[in-house]
Amino acid sequence: MLDKHRSAITQSKTRPRRWFRAGEGRTAFFFLLPGLIGILLFLVLPIFASIALSFTDWQLLGTPHFVGFANYTRLFTADPQFWTVLRNTVFFTVEYLILNIVVSLGLATWISSLKFGQRWFRGIFFLPTFTPLIAVAIVWMLIFTSGGLFDSLMERLSLPFSGVLNSQTLAMQAVILTSIWAGVGYNTVLFNAALDMVPASYLEAARIDGATAWDRFWKIRLPLISPTLFFGTVMTAITSLQVFDQIFVMTKGGPGSATATLGYAIYQRGFQNFQMGYASAIAWVMFALIMALTALQFWFQRKWVHYDN
Amino acid sequence: MAKLTIRNVIKRYGALEVLHGVSVAAQDGEFVVLVGPSGCGKSTLLRMIAGLESISDGEIEIGDRVVNDLEPNERDIAMVFQTYALYPHMTVRDNMAFSLKLARRSRQEIEQKVDDAAGILDLTALLDRYPRQLSGGQRQRVAMGRAIVRNPAVFLFDEPLSNLDAKLRVQMRTEIKTLHQRLGTTMVYVTHDQMEAMTMADRIVVMHGGGIEQVGPPLQIYDEPANSFVAGFIGSPSMNFIDGLVVERGGTAELQTEEGVHWPLPESARAYLGQSVRLGIRPEHIAVGPDGVQARVNIVEPTGSDTHLQLQVGSQSIIAAVRDRPSVSVGQPVPLRIDANKVHLFDLASGKRLH
Amino acid sequence: MTTKSKAKARRRLVLDVINHAALAIVAVAFLFPFFWMVSNAVRSNAEVMAIPVRILPKVFEWGNFVAAWTRLPFGRFFLNSAIIAVCVTAITVVVSCLSGYAFARLKFKGRETLLLGYIGTLMVPPLMLIIPLFLIINRLGMVNTFPGVILPISFGTFGAFLMRQFFLSIPMELEEAARIDGASRLRILIGIIVPLSMPAIGLLSLFTFMGQWNNFLWPLIVMTGADNATLPVGLTMFQTQQGTQWNYLMAGATLSMLPGIFLAIILQKLIYNSIALNAGMGGR
Repeated sequence: MLDKHRSAITQSKTRPRRWFRAGEGRTAFFFLLPGLIGILLFLVLPIFASIALSFTDWQLLGTPHFVGFANYTRLFTADPQFWTVLRNTVFFTVEYLILNIVVSLGLATWISSLKFGQRWFRGIFFLPTFTPLIAVAIVWMLIFTSGGLFDSLMERLSLPFSGVLNSQTLAMQAVILTSIWAGVGYNTVLFNAALDMVPASYLEAARIDGATAWDRFWKIRLPLISPTLFFGTVMTAITSLQVFDQIFVMTKGGPGSATATLGYAIYQRGFQNFQMGYASAIAWVMFALIMALTALQFWFQRKWVHYDN
Repeated sequence: MAKLTIRNVIKRYGALEVLHGVSVAAQDGEFVVLVGPSGCGKSTLLRMIAGLESISDGEIEIGDRVVNDLEPNERDIAMVFQTYALYPHMTVRDNMAFSLKLARRSRQEIEQKVDDAAGILDLTALLDRYPRQLSGGQRQRVAMGRAIVRNPAVFLFDEPLSNLDAKLRVQMRTEIKTLHQRLGTTMVYVTHDQMEAMTMADRIVVMHGGGIEQVGPPLQIYDEPANSFVAGFIGSPSMNFIDGLVVERGGTAELQTEEGVHWPLPESARAYLGQSVRLGIRPEHIAVGPDGVQARVNIVEPTGSDTHLQLQVGSQSIIAAVRDRPSVSVGQPVPLRIDANKVHLFDLASGKRLH
Repeated sequence: MTTKSKAKARRRLVLDVINHAALAIVAVAFLFPFFWMVSNAVRSNAEVMAIPVRILPKVFEWGNFVAAWTRLPFGRFFLNSAIIAVCVTAITVVVSCLSGYAFARLKFKGRETLLLGYIGTLMVPPLMLIIPLFLIINRLGMVNTFPGVILPISFGTFGAFLMRQFFLSIPMELEEAARIDGASRLRILIGIIVPLSMPAIGLLSLFTFMGQWNNFLWPLIVMTGADNATLPVGLTMFQTQQGTQWNYLMAGATLSMLPGIFLAIILQKLIYNSIALNAGMGGR
């Protein structure tokens, strides 16, 4: 009662002391300014520009005309290539994502079972991550080229796979294999680190409870690293939907449109045909696809990802 | 050196008021200890003096200047943090010199001051080490050295000993006290440890729930606690409290509990005849007598010098601290004597000390 | 030890050796493309395409590295790549530290909202911005210039977020001690916070640098002049209408991979720790 009374009195004579906050606010403003200018100019502005562009027929030269949803309707109804491109992208992403996660998790688990040289093995599988994807793709192109190493290997083994880069069905498999080699290292190290972080006491407790090595992996370690596994899956999915470099080098989207993906289509339409409006519409379809896939994964995570808290 | 005056200081976080108009002053050269349980606002008050928290209302004056609107470095204070806050990437020397460098003092002056401070604190041999290479006590001394080089008007200590082990804590307590005697600077020291407060302070400020309960020299606080909170907080083991009615029996005043136990009271307690009060008696003022209130021994805790007895009187638990080593065993009934002249009486409702 | 437990220990040892050896074989197989690249870099172009395929060249033509280097302005490509990667990294680190500090330690109106906005932009795929960014650069007359290629990719929000997270882990008392010592905010950031944040700054620098060193599409689009090409773009120039000069291409690819491989080996520990940091934060 007395306190209330007292604070009521003091409240009335409170002087403005906003300097304390204002000083910090001003400092914060100057600290944020360089980043904010860059972000407004090179991130926010382009996003809006991209939306606007996708409703025009701009060809770089000349003036843009507003065409409404024409670009989008053309994509889904008139463009004979687009459905192929969309299918290729989804096909690549699904196969690449599954293989990447399975292989990297397998390697990570295998490495974590070693007593010696863990870091060397991690280092080896990580190496391609730090090399230019373009260079990697060039090396694999040499391996897969007609009459190259892969073909002679297939001949030796009497298997009917040759000239894969010219094959409607196999070219994509070659691109995926290359991508796996280039990209599996990051997730391997990521998952290996997560496995390392599982406290030994859990595994020891499980052993005392009579769990076999198999049980310990599937029932203890895997659930415990599931948040990391989920993180790796989401990030890998987002990058794989944007695949471009390997395809630019190895197949140029061919043969025909067998390996043309959304990323390659954006490049082709935008920077070879200079159809800036049309390419922007494709970019937004890609964005929608990324959002949809990410949302799907977040939806499914409730079923398999285990969080501590 | 300067006087520190705190006038009606209030701290609010949004609608929540955590300090309700605190007023206290430290004389020039005085060692003032703010003590209280966690959450009582003592650290907040110290941080407001330092300028690390804004002042919602009221005034803080250092020397003759109101420092409310000054930046921390303009207040002529130095602070020793609980975690020491030594810059991990700087040597001891650089840690101590940092504030002087920022103030653009000359190289010679900086060197001189750092060397002097290092001499005082016995840090000369450690000047080129990094904090991680030092022991807890050494880090503590560096933190003080960093404060000394600034030659501040007021030293602020925020629970500086709580990260040290028990033995080192006692040793550092002495060192800080010695330092105070040597420098003669005003010091404000925050702790939750009443023992530190008792041993170090010229004056203790007992805080509780965002306000001040009592201000005074250590022994005055101990002997004449303003209320039952202070009485219970200061002293270890804590004061025993027994509620009851003041009655007259056989010509003397006594406290009669609900269970019908009678405790002796001093003659002067007659003034409260017929009133319900809370009796407070410190453990060292209870003895195992040849006769007295019947109790049963629950636990015997020898500390070496003293023996703490946990006793049961009816449903009431009582702690006695006796100097000698009584030959009692658990479960044994013993008679208790209390020194009626050392008894405190508190008002049941307000907790204020009556006697 | 009993004979039984001895036998058990021996069996475990054998299994361990087999386990290590098997993964070693997998690892060697994994490294094969690197070997194949170098092996083809040092043979004549005719031998590259010769049938049957030879694992090692008949004649080692080490001169191919020099030839590849001089055939195209490879030194120039190297320099271009280095300039772009270093500048992008420097700007990213400075801007990220400044913004990260503001988000971690300064109170201002709308801080949480702005931070949420920053995190939100992480969802935007870079490929989507390529077209409008090119048009902006075009409008500013910066096509085929270094500022034109560097500036648009130097302001990612990830760095600010990363630095904020790291700064939050630095004890507040250090900063308060520095304020009492009389340090300004900028001084605190440069003198106290940054030196203590080297692990995070190292991680941000390393991954930004490698990302840009390996970047292909953006420099391909902006650097239209042949002399301004970066290393990955330059490599594609060995594929001409007349055919592919495989041996030079492999030599160039080898050279382009060297800095990354070098960094991956010497900074092994930093890379592992930083990815581990990611694993720890992942999904949390």
